[in-house]
Amino acid sequence: MASENQSKLIAAFATALNIDTSLVKDELAYNTIPEWDSTAHMSLVAELEDVFDIMLDTDDIIDMSSVLKAKEIVAKYGVEL
Amino acid sequence: MVLEGYQVKLVPVGASDLEMLRAWRNDPKISQHMLTKAKITKAQQIRWFEKVSQDASQKHFVIWYKGKPIGAANIKALDGKCLESTSVIEPGLYIYEDKYRANLLAFAPTLLLNDFSFYDIGVEKLKAVVLAENQAALNYNQKLGYTIVNEGPLIEIELERLSYEVASKPLKGLLSRVSGGKKSGV
Repeated sequence: MASENQSKLIAAFATALNIDTSLVKDELAYNTIPEWDSTAHMSLVAELEDVFDIMLDTDDIIDMSSVLKAKEIVAKYGVEL
Repeated sequence: MVLEGYQVKLVPVGASDLEMLRAWRNDPKISQHMLTKAKITKAQQIRWFEKVSQDASQKHFVIWYKGKPIGAANIKALDGKCLESTSVIEPGLYIYEDKYRANLLAFAPTLLLNDFSFYDIGVEKLKAVVLAENQAALNYNQKLGYTIVNEGPLIEIELERLSYEVASKPLKGLLSRVSGGKKSGV
């Protein structure tokens, strides 16, 4: 389940940011690539919520500044990674 | 007058904020994006505060998030009239805290200023100028619905109410949520 969720998270990033899955590394951060701008961030939130059936609160949306941070945040909502 | 929403609070600048603001404004990470880059002295800062405190055509705020000051914001009537009777406002802001500079939160103070300008004051449009090399600021403003009206070393941009409403709606949604959780339990 954990590795399946890891794959889902990576796929969610790749879809929302329209980038290759190979680019989705823990250190990838908001606004460090043109593809991860505010619009993509909104798509990313929607994608993660859809994939994991969760609803992020605003503090977490603001804090989700990297892939690593996103993993920590979805884990708070009970997603096993 | 304090403006509050989208997780942030805009508190009018007070005398006790002046040294913090001066240090921020003199930091090259901020001053490099300003039209005037010269170091501001303590005396200049005090004179500026005395002047703007008496000037009904502008308001200056400190941006607060979770009990910490993170940046500065302002609005100015471009025609020099008092803010309540102007039709065009120029908003401005910077986020000083690195953690929030490249962050969705950076939109929050602008949403507050724009809402106040369009819905409380009732202005027709907002105008701003951006240094041509400051692509990040240009992108930021375009995400809020601004369009370029004149290009040069200084890029002039404008925002009308309808464009703002369309562009800002999704951002406002994300920055206004009360709480999250499992969807089935929400």
